[in-house]
Amino acid sequence: MSQSTTSSSYSSAANPSPLMIEARGVEKWYPNGYHALRGVDLTVNRGEVVVIMGPSGSGKSTFIRTFNALEDFQKGQITVDGIPLSNDLRQIDAIRREVGMVFQQFNLFPHLSVLDNLTLAPVLVRKRPKAEVVEQARALLKRVGIAEQADKYPGQLSGGQQQRVAIARALCMEPRILLFDEPTSALDPEMVREVLEVMQNLAADDITMVVVTHEVKFARQVADRVVLMAEGDVVEVAEPEQFFTNPRQERSRRFLDQIL
Amino acid sequence: MNPLLRRLRQDLFATPADSLLSIALLAILASGSTAFLHWAFSRAQWAVIQANSTLFALGRYPIEQQWRLWLLTALLAAAAGIGWGMLRSHPRTDRSGRLWPANDRIAALLLLLSLALPWALGLALPIQLRWWALSGLLLLLRWLAGRFGPGLPPALKRLLPLGLPLLYLIGMLLIGGGLGLAPVPPSEWGGLLLTLLQASFAILLCFPLGVLLALGRRSDLPLLRWGSVIYIEFIRGAPLITLLFLGQNMLGFLLPGGMAPERVWRAAWVLTLFAAAYLAEAVRSGLAAVPRGQVEAARSLGLSLPQAFSTVVLPQALRVALPSMVGQFISLLQDTTLLSLIGLMELLGTARTVMANPAFLGKNAEVYLTLAVLFWCCCAALGLGSRALERRLDPAAVVRSG
Repeated sequence: MSQSTTSSSYSSAANPSPLMIEARGVEKWYPNGYHALRGVDLTVNRGEVVVIMGPSGSGKSTFIRTFNALEDFQKGQITVDGIPLSNDLRQIDAIRREVGMVFQQFNLFPHLSVLDNLTLAPVLVRKRPKAEVVEQARALLKRVGIAEQADKYPGQLSGGQQQRVAIARALCMEPRILLFDEPTSALDPEMVREVLEVMQNLAADDITMVVVTHEVKFARQVADRVVLMAEGDVVEVAEPEQFFTNPRQERSRRFLDQIL
Repeated sequence: MNPLLRRLRQDLFATPADSLLSIALLAILASGSTAFLHWAFSRAQWAVIQANSTLFALGRYPIEQQWRLWLLTALLAAAAGIGWGMLRSHPRTDRSGRLWPANDRIAALLLLLSLALPWALGLALPIQLRWWALSGLLLLLRWLAGRFGPGLPPALKRLLPLGLPLLYLIGMLLIGGGLGLAPVPPSEWGGLLLTLLQASFAILLCFPLGVLLALGRRSDLPLLRWGSVIYIEFIRGAPLITLLFLGQNMLGFLLPGGMAPERVWRAAWVLTLFAAAYLAEAVRSGLAAVPRGQVEAARSLGLSLPQAFSTVVLPQALRVALPSMVGQFISLLQDTTLLSLIGLMELLGTARTVMANPAFLGKNAEVYLTLAVLFWCCCAALGLGSRALERRLDPAAVVRSG
């Protein structure tokens, strides 16, 4: 149902396969019995930017949260960068080190300065020397355009600045995959653009990105493929031009009628 | 019209009903305070406090070893001065204070009290001089810490809190003896010394226990969770006094002969275990206030669960729980008076023996008032310290200071 062939020339020595994420027949029930994911299949290629759209309650957030084991699932298989997701905690930790995540509500650590937000995990998890990480963190903050805010606390920043810090924080772990869970949905309209510009800038790199968003313009300009999810399953996977101008599925057409 | 008069008129006599209420309250206040002042300065006989000041302070602690407690008090004054100065100057470096604390009402009040109180109590001149030297030391170190503390290297500043447990160990050594110091058995500790010792022991140890219990109550392991719940609910459902009696009697049966700790320590452990259950609930409310997204963000960055808790969740939870934790500490300090009922000579126990002395018969009001003021001073100090710590830990405070 969801197979496509856009690929990238980038490949790493550790995992020569062009597949970065491979999900097969993923099913999830919430403890209250709600069937949130109904056999989802999706593959994401190395270096690819995949945008997932869909009405609320379609399971798109739940689905990408399974990629770094923030949500469990009951049936199916997910392989991330060659590592199969299982209940083995060491493998989950290994996957989480390679998969960064940016949340709708930013989830910055309010008790730490911006710089400490960035350096915490690389120093603690990757055991890298602090001075080296601080240097990298400052470079990343410069890249997302907030170098001068390094010593402030998250509560002192605007929403757009906070989300850019969150992106820099994820990048500081040097992940191969970056997941975005509605990164601009909690932002005031005038701050959406500054965050999207940072993401667009990132997409030009080799990093693999999976983005859940309602930003049509972003999907059109940046995505390699667009995925539509509804009722816990993938409805359509297509290149953005085709998806937005001439979707194959009736369900996609109805969705686009509502948001365009 | 005089601005003061206008202000008075606005605040107290704005409407006829306001005026009536103000006059009635002023009359009650005036009659109450004149009656109190009349009692305090003409009827009350404070000789009972003057004659027993050492007993109230130390109990039956041997006189020839008292220099150890003076030394300890000097160390505590130094630590308090440094801590006060550091907390006050962070994050507001402009609030480092002056050597003469006229710019700080609390410090000025402390200076005034420490000058006036030893004199008012009619203590011997050498002892008066010592108290003055101690408050001078405290205020001097407070100023030095405020002036130079913020400039210290961060690594050194992080080490400073470790001085507190060290100070506690040195304090226990000085009080109890050992390492060449003559031993003074716990049965000879008393008065304010025993009260503060019991309270500080329980406060220091109930903190880690309470945090562990709170984490246990939220654990996924059913045995740990139910164990914590049962412990917390049992302790919170039983009056402290019954637990104290239980502790005195049961520990003797449970442990083989000679192994049961001395009664002072038995009481201290019961207080600790009691306070831990209440503290666990305070910490639990703090944990509940940390959004779920914080753990998710930490975990998605690759932090293990213990790392996420110790670096992300607990610091935020404890900051939220701090006011209610200090509330627990204050009631713990007051709960130490119950120890007099199991025969320990802490402040209230000492007071009861003094009042039972035929020489001081009928002087209950003077004694109880003194106890109340002493307890109030200790609790006020705890409250002030906690508010300073709250400001220190509040990221928003940095915003205000720019």
